[in-house]
Amino acid sequence: MTSKVLAMSASLAALVLSGLTAGSATAQSITIAIGSEPSTLDPQLRDDGGERQINDNIYEALMARTPDGELIPGLAAEAPVQIDDTTWQFKLREGVMFHNGTPFTAESVVGSVLRVIDPANNSEQLSYFSSVSGAEAVDELTVNIKTSGPDPILPSRMYWMKMIDPGYAAEGDLAGVPVGTGPYMFDAWNRGADLTLVVNPDYWGGEAQIDDVTYRFVPEAGTRLSGLMAGEFDVITNLLPEFTTSVPKFAAVPGLETSVFVLGTDNEVTQDPKVREALNLAIDRQSMVDGLFMGYATVAKGSHVNPAAFGFNETLDYYPYDLDRAKALIEEAGAVGKPLVVIGESGRWLKDREQIEVVAAYWAETGLDVSTEIQEFSQYLDSLMGSGPRPDAIFIANSNELLDADREMSYIYHMDGAAASNSDADMAAMIDAARVETDVDKRKALYDEAQQLGHDLNFTVPLFNLEDIYGMSERMDWQPRTDAKLIVSEMTVTE
Amino acid sequence: MGLPMMSFRPLRSFLSELWQDKAAAIGFAVMVLIVLMAVFAPVLAPEDPATQSLLQRLKPPVWDARGSWDHLLGTDNLGRDVLSRIIWGARTTLTIGIVTCVIAAMIGTTLGLWAGFMGGRTDSVLMRLVDIQVSFPGILLILLVVGVLGPGVWTLIAVLSVTNWMVYARLVRGIVSSTRQMPYVEAAEVIGCRPSRVIFVHLLPNLVSPLLTLLILEFTNIVLAEAAVSFLGFGVQPPDTSWGLDVASGRDYLFIAWWLVTFPGLAIVVTVLSINLFANWLRVTSDPEEREKRFARTIAAKRRRRRAT
Repeated sequence: MTSKVLAMSASLAALVLSGLTAGSATAQSITIAIGSEPSTLDPQLRDDGGERQINDNIYEALMARTPDGELIPGLAAEAPVQIDDTTWQFKLREGVMFHNGTPFTAESVVGSVLRVIDPANNSEQLSYFSSVSGAEAVDELTVNIKTSGPDPILPSRMYWMKMIDPGYAAEGDLAGVPVGTGPYMFDAWNRGADLTLVVNPDYWGGEAQIDDVTYRFVPEAGTRLSGLMAGEFDVITNLLPEFTTSVPKFAAVPGLETSVFVLGTDNEVTQDPKVREALNLAIDRQSMVDGLFMGYATVAKGSHVNPAAFGFNETLDYYPYDLDRAKALIEEAGAVGKPLVVIGESGRWLKDREQIEVVAAYWAETGLDVSTEIQEFSQYLDSLMGSGPRPDAIFIANSNELLDADREMSYIYHMDGAAASNSDADMAAMIDAARVETDVDKRKALYDEAQQLGHDLNFTVPLFNLEDIYGMSERMDWQPRTDAKLIVSEMTVTE
Repeated sequence: MGLPMMSFRPLRSFLSELWQDKAAAIGFAVMVLIVLMAVFAPVLAPEDPATQSLLQRLKPPVWDARGSWDHLLGTDNLGRDVLSRIIWGARTTLTIGIVTCVIAAMIGTTLGLWAGFMGGRTDSVLMRLVDIQVSFPGILLILLVVGVLGPGVWTLIAVLSVTNWMVYARLVRGIVSSTRQMPYVEAAEVIGCRPSRVIFVHLLPNLVSPLLTLLILEFTNIVLAEAAVSFLGFGVQPPDTSWGLDVASGRDYLFIAWWLVTFPGLAIVVTVLSINLFANWLRVTSDPEEREKRFARTIAAKRRRRRAT
């Protein structure tokens, strides 16, 4: 009797197993949970994370990056050359087709460039392409991109510009039914519920392993987590470090974001360099990494520039944790009991509110009278970038999508930068010079010098280089990328 | 000698009447305890609620295998003592809940009385004002006010009062305009009572019991609204805390640290429940008709019992 049951269950198991393997040989489909639904699928208009997470698989750009962040040719056949101060020449890959059958040529590039920079389109991505002034086709597969001044980082910028079919953009529904050159093709979008892509069998780089992908839009971190546990999702984004032990599989990778406090160097209390130095010394960053991030972050090395970015100064020292010295400096500056207002937001970045509260508590130990203001996000943006008075200290997790120091420098260090709180003209001059310097070594030297200055004068309180953590189901095999893109063609399913 | 006795007598009779309803008595006792806890927070709290210790974060309560006596109810995501935060959070939560309810009820009752008593054009204008305010998105108004005044407990109270008075106005106006038609009110007006006398002596007592019920229900709403608003960054600012804020910020850790949400959540539940038990009794006691019915029921029950024995 028992042996009969055993035999039966064994054969049943064999049946199920064979069914599974047969299934995996025919079609592989996965489900990815992302935090927000795209507002549009037009790849050139909005600066929208949800849109990017999907369109990164449908569209491609002239330049691409390896998972480690190294810039490589994408739709370009080789690295571009700067033929004069304001012109970069790109040779294009041969035989690339859009999903609708139109060939990808120099005219497609010209059309894509002109569409993004057309003021009538009012693209939110313009800040990435501020220097681009035009494009012209040289022959079928060669294109010149013109810049308004010398722009050494144009190749990085072109990694951000998705190539569209200008003919389809004029007639078709680019916002609803995207057509690109990438490894996946658009299938269906049930607004409010999910979006499906299918593999592009004619992809120039070879067909990807996963046949179709369904994206689900799940804003709540807890819901994404329980969906993963229930086997509903295969990949979820923004996993909290605490949950790495409870999910089937996870992967962490150094990301693009660096958390930092920008100090107001013209404000009553923080104008004193001693106070600013004290603020940098009073924080025990390592125990924050161990406690708050459970190791999934690294202490920023003396600057808020992303370590993977070009122009990062490796020679800077870490700010040590020295509370006694910080207290002494506050005492020397005569700032004991003086008010310091810390401004931040909540719910936008990984553990933002917690970082702000912990740092505010550390700063209160120095003898300053610290108060915290957690602001609503639009109000926070106004404090960060508005024209009002600069805050004493404001928190930001700054993201460097172009992986070039120019981003953090012009945004936070340059006195005219949107989030800058200083009025140092020397610093601004260095950054301006570096932006148009086409000699790589000279440009690097300028950035090194500017970062050293910012470090010594304590313009900012750099905290951590944050890691992106993804949760995955048991069958997924994927190494996440430094640039936080969810490239499905790099994922595989093992079953 | 006789004077203090005199002043204690109403209290004593109140307590002895309350004791008849055991559930209400327990509710009242818990309420008093919670208020005392809020008042004596500095003495009662074992630790400073703002003291962080990153190495001690997310410690479970004492009865868990990994818990310790240092933190009876465990620690939160920044290593702060959950028990101390609940004790201190009671202050903020109760202050915001009570003050907001009282202010909103005062605004709403005054306007509702006025509209219901005057009728006609005054009534239409005031009630359209209520309609406009109801249709105006609350969160937008909150944004506006906080933008001007800056975030904080008192801003929060002001904003929540301004966005919550309408329900009182509607209720009061409805009761007043129907009560005005009652013969005894008309009689009072005919014999020449001044409007203030009619309002305060003849109309207002009818409102006490529905208003009390509404106040209690609204208190719960305010506690929850305060939590949502504080979480967005409009309200209570760190290192201060409130129960709602603790629930909101502990939500992310629900899977690994249930105590972050559970204990402040329980505090809210216990408070609201005990207020409800007490309010139910108070509603009956303050309504003459209901009170008569209850008295009759008790007598009837006694008689039945006597007959049974």
